[in-house]
Amino acid sequence: MKKWLSGFIGLVLLSLVLMACSGGSESSGGESDVDIPEGATEVVMWNLFAGGDAEYMQNIVDAFNESQSEYFVNNIMQENAEYYTKLLTSIGAGKGPDLAIAHTHVLPELVSQGLVQDLDSIGEEVGVKWDEFNQNILDATIYEDKHYAVPMDTHAQIMYINNKLVAEAGLLNEDGTLKMEKTPEGYVEFYQTLRDTLPEDKIPFAFSSSGSDPYWTWWTFYSQMGGRGILTEDSLENPKYDLDVDNAVKAAFFVNSLYHDNEIIPLNISDFYSEFQSENAATMNTGVWATGTWESTDGLEFTPMPIPTIFGEDAAWGSSHTFVLPYYQKADEAAQKGAVEFMNFAADHGAMWAQAGHIPSKTTVVESEEFQELPYRSEYAEVASYVNFVDRNIYARGLEEIVIRHLDTIWSGEATPEEAFAAMETEVKDLIGE
Amino acid sequence: MNKKLWAHDFKAIPFLLPFFVAYVIFTILPIFKGLEMSLYDWTLVRKLDFVGFANYKDMFVDPHFWRTLWNTTLFVILTTPTMVLLALGLALLANMNTKLQTFFRGSFFLPSILSVAVISFLAIFMLQPYSGLINTILHTIGIEAEPFWMADKTLAWVSIVVVTLWWTVGFNMVLFLAGLQDIPESLYEASEIDGATRWEQFRYITLPQLMPIGRVVLLLQILGSYKVFAQILLITGGGPGGATRPLIQYIYEVGFTQNNLGYAATMSYALFFILLILSIIQLRNQRSGES
Repeated sequence: MKKWLSGFIGLVLLSLVLMACSGGSESSGGESDVDIPEGATEVVMWNLFAGGDAEYMQNIVDAFNESQSEYFVNNIMQENAEYYTKLLTSIGAGKGPDLAIAHTHVLPELVSQGLVQDLDSIGEEVGVKWDEFNQNILDATIYEDKHYAVPMDTHAQIMYINNKLVAEAGLLNEDGTLKMEKTPEGYVEFYQTLRDTLPEDKIPFAFSSSGSDPYWTWWTFYSQMGGRGILTEDSLENPKYDLDVDNAVKAAFFVNSLYHDNEIIPLNISDFYSEFQSENAATMNTGVWATGTWESTDGLEFTPMPIPTIFGEDAAWGSSHTFVLPYYQKADEAAQKGAVEFMNFAADHGAMWAQAGHIPSKTTVVESEEFQELPYRSEYAEVASYVNFVDRNIYARGLEEIVIRHLDTIWSGEATPEEAFAAMETEVKDLIGE
Repeated sequence: MNKKLWAHDFKAIPFLLPFFVAYVIFTILPIFKGLEMSLYDWTLVRKLDFVGFANYKDMFVDPHFWRTLWNTTLFVILTTPTMVLLALGLALLANMNTKLQTFFRGSFFLPSILSVAVISFLAIFMLQPYSGLINTILHTIGIEAEPFWMADKTLAWVSIVVVTLWWTVGFNMVLFLAGLQDIPESLYEASEIDGATRWEQFRYITLPQLMPIGRVVLLLQILGSYKVFAQILLITGGGPGGATRPLIQYIYEVGFTQNNLGYAATMSYALFFILLILSIIQLRNQRSGES
């Protein structure tokens, strides 16, 4: 009896372990706790959004599910930090979603590894109108003349000002524009006036001293100076190092001067968003996605605007969220068609997505009354047409990590811009095998 | 006798088997898979070409490998002695026959049960400039400086080491405490009769008796410190500018953002090899110490 019992317990434990090992193979990356309406084809979608963005995306999914009964989009949130690792490996293993979201800079990796499929034939069937999209955004999704993604938006880095504080410093014209000469000197002078005029506890420019944000601003000024990228764009797999070093260094000196020489940006603010939100800061730079947060903050009077063009060309850092169709050898054609139907629906309903702050990808949506009626958004929608996307190559994620790490050594005062870019060159060449 | 032993052992098999299966699947197999990976050009998605020892050759001339390995070693050097000595001190304190005994034990061990995300969040909260607890205290006592604990190279190391000490020292303390309680009371009684002072008791009874557990603590501490990653990633992100980036963070970045699992596996093997050598040296020492 005892032997029987111990054997039985052993078997139960063993089966538990084996069940744990085989978990997740039930459907294509789906979760089974959602009720799929009878007769509808389930389209499993993975998304990487959090906070407000996630909520607006869910609204679009709900609207789509209510608008028809043929398909049901099952929107599954994924942890942002691990999103791409999980997406790449799961599609590779044939267990990924039917529909996924990807940033433009990750598309080359997905396309080159054959993890996504082109949308031309299904797009035609569904009736995707490619000519309604903003060409600058759409171009970033075309590879060898094929459409590999339906873009949803551009999210550029822009400038936000606190109307009250900037007006208090006498730097706001009557029409709400800035009293700023559009030159590097004028830009710095604008901030020096803020610094000297505002009470001492107010911050002229709330910003991070490390990470993505200063990288984006550096990229914006580098692009304004005529710098195009870091690598050549002739080949996804074998690009060459092509940094315009003079302008890269010049842009880095300029950004660095805002921290150190001119003391416009206080160093190492732990949360610059909250400084702006609590009206402690006159200005800040960040992605358009902050608009949704600022407008729901009581009493915050702000104006979003493109980062002023102070170095010649209109340019800005920006990326774009796109929808992609993962490639499977034995793909469920009904689910794929449903996925593209949803992509089309979401692009057409870009005004819903714009509530988060993003600039819709379709010019028809930007021109629509629904979008124009949204406050603030139209003030920066023009940025979409001159955003300088990062280089198209399969190394974009690794490249970004290297560039940010080296730029950080400049802002922290550990390296001069010349030193940092020299060190970066070696490391980037190493990465791309040049 | 043999038959009895077999029957006796057989009963244990069903109980051991589940763990054994899990151990094989999740530990043994990945170890060999990793070795295979290190010999290939391998992306997140698929195995590409066999490259032999090319990844290993690259590793020896990769400055980032050496820099992050040095960062990790620096962390080991900074934390190990303090971690062992502090744990011993705390264990002695927690072993004293006072009313505060339970309080000491609880409060020293408590941080160890928190997850790395929680302690990192607390650390960031306390260390941030302008409004963080530490700087506010400094300002309150009249020090007007604004140290950037997480953004200055040296201070970032100090912060990481102190946070790690606070977080993990309790575990070592418990091991020492177990060791202390294993020392027979009769040794102290006998020494008291011989007129030994407290210091002599500590020097000639407690310390030698604690040596075996001390060696275990030392070994575990070195191995643990070499695997440092999560709290650095969460507190400084390896910054400023890579100054605190440990080897495992570099391995993680190469594998998962640079999409080069082959090379990441190679560096994991290098770390494995270093830990293996350290363990062998330590175990030999232990044996010679025991004999």
